[in-house]
Amino acid sequence: MTDAKKSEVLQGTLDLMILKTLHALGPQHGFGLARRIEQVSRDVLQLNEGTVYTSLLRLLQQGWIAAQWGTSENNRKAKFYSITARGEKQLAVETENWERISGVMGRVLRLEEER
Amino acid sequence: MGNVRISRLRGFAASVLGFFGRRERDSDFDEEVRAHLQLLVDRFVAQGMSREDATAAARRQFGNTTLLQEDRRELRTLVSVEDLGRDLRYALRSLARSRAFAAVAIATLGLGIGASTAIFSVIDNVLLEPFPYKDSARMVFLRIHDTARADQEEGRQAYTSNEFLEFANQNHVFDAVMATAEDPVLYKHGEGVELLYGVDVTPGTFEFFGMPALYGRVLEPADYQPGAPPVFVMRHKVWVERFNGDPGVLNQIFVLNGTARTLVGIMPPRFGWFDADVYIPEKPVRGVATGFAGLPAQWFMLWRLKPGVSNVQAAVDATVITNQLAKINPQDYPAHFQVLVKHVGDTVIGRFESTLYTILAAVGLLLLIGCGNVANLMLARAASREKEFALRAVLGAGRTRLVRLLLVESLVLAIGGAALGSLIAWGGLKLIVAAMPQDVIPAESVIELNPPVMAFTVVVSILTALIFGLAPALQATRRDLTDPLRDSAKGVIGGFRTGRMRDAVVVMEVAVSLTLLIGAGLLMRSFVAMREFHLGLQPDHVFQTQLPLPEDRYKTAAQVRGFFQPLLARVKALPGVVDATESTSLPPYGFQNSKIEISGKAHQDEWHTLVQQVSEGYFRVLRIPFKVGRGFSEAEINDARKLAVVNETFVSTYLRGEDPIGRRVKLAQLETVADPVREPWFEIVGVVADVTNQGLQAPIEPEVWVPYTVTGSGAQVLMVRSQQAPMALMNDVRQAVWATDGGVAPAFPGPLEDRISQRLYAGPRFAFLLMIIFGCLGLILVTVGVYSVLAYATARKTHEIGIRMALGAERADVLSQVIRAGLRLVTAGIAIGLFVSLLLGRAIEAQLWRGVKPYDPATLLGTTLLLMGTGALACWIPARRAARVDPMVALRYE
Repeated sequence: MTDAKKSEVLQGTLDLMILKTLHALGPQHGFGLARRIEQVSRDVLQLNEGTVYTSLLRLLQQGWIAAQWGTSENNRKAKFYSITARGEKQLAVETENWERISGVMGRVLRLEEER
Repeated sequence: MGNVRISRLRGFAASVLGFFGRRERDSDFDEEVRAHLQLLVDRFVAQGMSREDATAAARRQFGNTTLLQEDRRELRTLVSVEDLGRDLRYALRSLARSRAFAAVAIATLGLGIGASTAIFSVIDNVLLEPFPYKDSARMVFLRIHDTARADQEEGRQAYTSNEFLEFANQNHVFDAVMATAEDPVLYKHGEGVELLYGVDVTPGTFEFFGMPALYGRVLEPADYQPGAPPVFVMRHKVWVERFNGDPGVLNQIFVLNGTARTLVGIMPPRFGWFDADVYIPEKPVRGVATGFAGLPAQWFMLWRLKPGVSNVQAAVDATVITNQLAKINPQDYPAHFQVLVKHVGDTVIGRFESTLYTILAAVGLLLLIGCGNVANLMLARAASREKEFALRAVLGAGRTRLVRLLLVESLVLAIGGAALGSLIAWGGLKLIVAAMPQDVIPAESVIELNPPVMAFTVVVSILTALIFGLAPALQATRRDLTDPLRDSAKGVIGGFRTGRMRDAVVVMEVAVSLTLLIGAGLLMRSFVAMREFHLGLQPDHVFQTQLPLPEDRYKTAAQVRGFFQPLLARVKALPGVVDATESTSLPPYGFQNSKIEISGKAHQDEWHTLVQQVSEGYFRVLRIPFKVGRGFSEAEINDARKLAVVNETFVSTYLRGEDPIGRRVKLAQLETVADPVREPWFEIVGVVADVTNQGLQAPIEPEVWVPYTVTGSGAQVLMVRSQQAPMALMNDVRQAVWATDGGVAPAFPGPLEDRISQRLYAGPRFAFLLMIIFGCLGLILVTVGVYSVLAYATARKTHEIGIRMALGAERADVLSQVIRAGLRLVTAGIAIGLFVSLLLGRAIEAQLWRGVKPYDPATLLGTTLLLMGTGALACWIPARRAARVDPMVALRYE
């Protein structure tokens, strides 16, 4: 295992990742979302896939995503999640937030290294 | 910000809604998870894993499904009733397992809540809100304080009709007034006469109090008009006790003191002004000066301050008026005086107020000990469960879950304590009311459980339980999970921080308890000293009754003698009677105060003495010994000879070093009564030993006794010395009274001893009893506190003790080590407690009988030893248990 290099998913960032994924790929079921995040993060993140569902519930409660039962690619019954209009707005806010913070963090960390 | 709030709100709404659609959503979720796992398994199989490996890998990748389920529930529901129920069941089970802990915690909380609620209720009802009247906070009375007699809190509070009218016309600071004058009422009914305690009240009285009648009406301005039909109003208590609460008595005519009066109103239960039975309209008239018992009319004036006027401003204004009055009637005022404005509550409470506050302080200390104990118990319990919680956390219990578990446990304890506390408060209040001395609290105050106070103490105690239940829980759940699990060397590292806290709590408890015990000890000593104090007379085997004579038929000295001469002869002839006497007042109080002159003595300042009118048997009935000279003979009494007997204080004050016998003394006061004595010069024929005549605490005043036959004015009291129990005389004496005059009713009969005891000792006894109870409770709580801390510490050290014993330590070493550790805490607490008690000494000094000092060495030593002893006992039990440790068992234990 490559545990040493893998990072825990930062608290709160999973919500943002899911919103972004749903925004980019359209309706997805839980398994699909887990695969997509795994793929994008290129195995850097260690994801407890169960937590995806906790995150989904949180987003549902806020009304940022909606859920609907449907049929998966291999003809199984699955719940599909899609981003709502309010979710889109929230995504824009959160993205901007994240970029600002990561920008600041980046600058701060570089400062530290240059000294 | 707004966005955050809205999203929170939305989450909350979803939680509430989520609670309802619960079952369905759970099964949805299960299905989703199953599908997800299946897909993972399929994928791993496709990658070439065996099915078992694939299943395991899928589980690993997905994570803990149970935990997930719980997370979801916490998200989705506000308070999960299901979890709460589980926590409750668990809490009850775990408390049932440690029954001693639960019992002690609940009992401690209950005692604290109960005792403080009861006392707070008494204080609120008696001191803070005793009067049900309109604007009672602004009701004041005036007191003329003689500045030359600084030692006395007393002073004139009663005023003549003239004075009343002057005050009413001239003041600028009061917006209303009512005045009350005593007017004992003989009420004649079919069977005989009965005495009612009546008062005359001035126009506007009921408007002043702002209370309507329960039945009928109150006194109105028309009732005070000349020629108005005579009426009166009755107090609720008398109506219930004497007339069985029969509304039929309303508008009936009663013959009171020979006047036919119509009962026009019955007041509500809480109206009890002046503790009177009936209220009779009477208008103060200028120049009319005769009141009850032929004495000058004595109006007790109650004023209502104008809004915004302070007591000091009122005193300044009243002083202007009194200065004028003093110029006109100098004989009614001391040479130097001060006008004091006092709140209506000061009429009755007085010294008892400080008693109640002392008890309140004691209860506060008790509550403090109680809270300390609960805190300690919770800390010890939490510390001993560190492992349990660490294990739970390792197995995946979330922090909120653990905290909630402890919260529920603390709540169960707190609710148990509150329930027990309510019971104790309820029962305690009944006991307090029963033990409470009479005549020291306002007649209006109704002592009942006070719900806000109850709520307050319950909240305080519950908070204590929660805070101390939670603090260690938070600490325990925050720390590294594996540390407590690894920590097998109990007592070496583990619980160090909470250990310090527990020690501090025990030291505090011991200190507070010692303070409480010293207070109780001082009051007890004070009470014992008071009981041993000799009044100067022997009240045992003396029957007493007051005999108010109908004023219309008993005005002159001859009329009064015409009643008492045959009555005394009849009573003395009764079997078992040793002697009998007439008197104006009952010991240990003198009657009237008079200015005096003594033949051959010139003096600038005013000389005063108490004056009593008695018959010849007085000194024999009370067994007051003569120092010089003799008493009166029966013939001298019957001839109304102007002779006097004085007390030793009289001689030492006014005739020091001289022979008092044959000196003549003028009692000016006897000139002013309704049946005045002309030329009231009396020749001293004897000196008696001093008898307490101003109550217990006040110094003895000069006193003069003269024959009761010199005037028809003055109150009448009968005292009879008997060979058997005094109350056995009751019926015979009543028959003798009625045989002499069928229109006279014995009032308040009873043994003199009981009366003195009730008047003098009831207040101190009450204070000392409560303090002893609280002191004992405090001692018990502290013993439990010391014991529980030591027992816990010892239990944690079992392993260490085992090693020591295995290495050759003797049982005695172990025993002394544990006891020493405990006594160190007790001693520290005692040192602090002694220090605090000495600091607080002043506060309790006013409660103590003269001669008992707040730093009374015997009390300090006794209580310290007592606390030390119980402390040692509390240490000894866990120490003995420690010494019994089998080293092999202790070492193998881990």
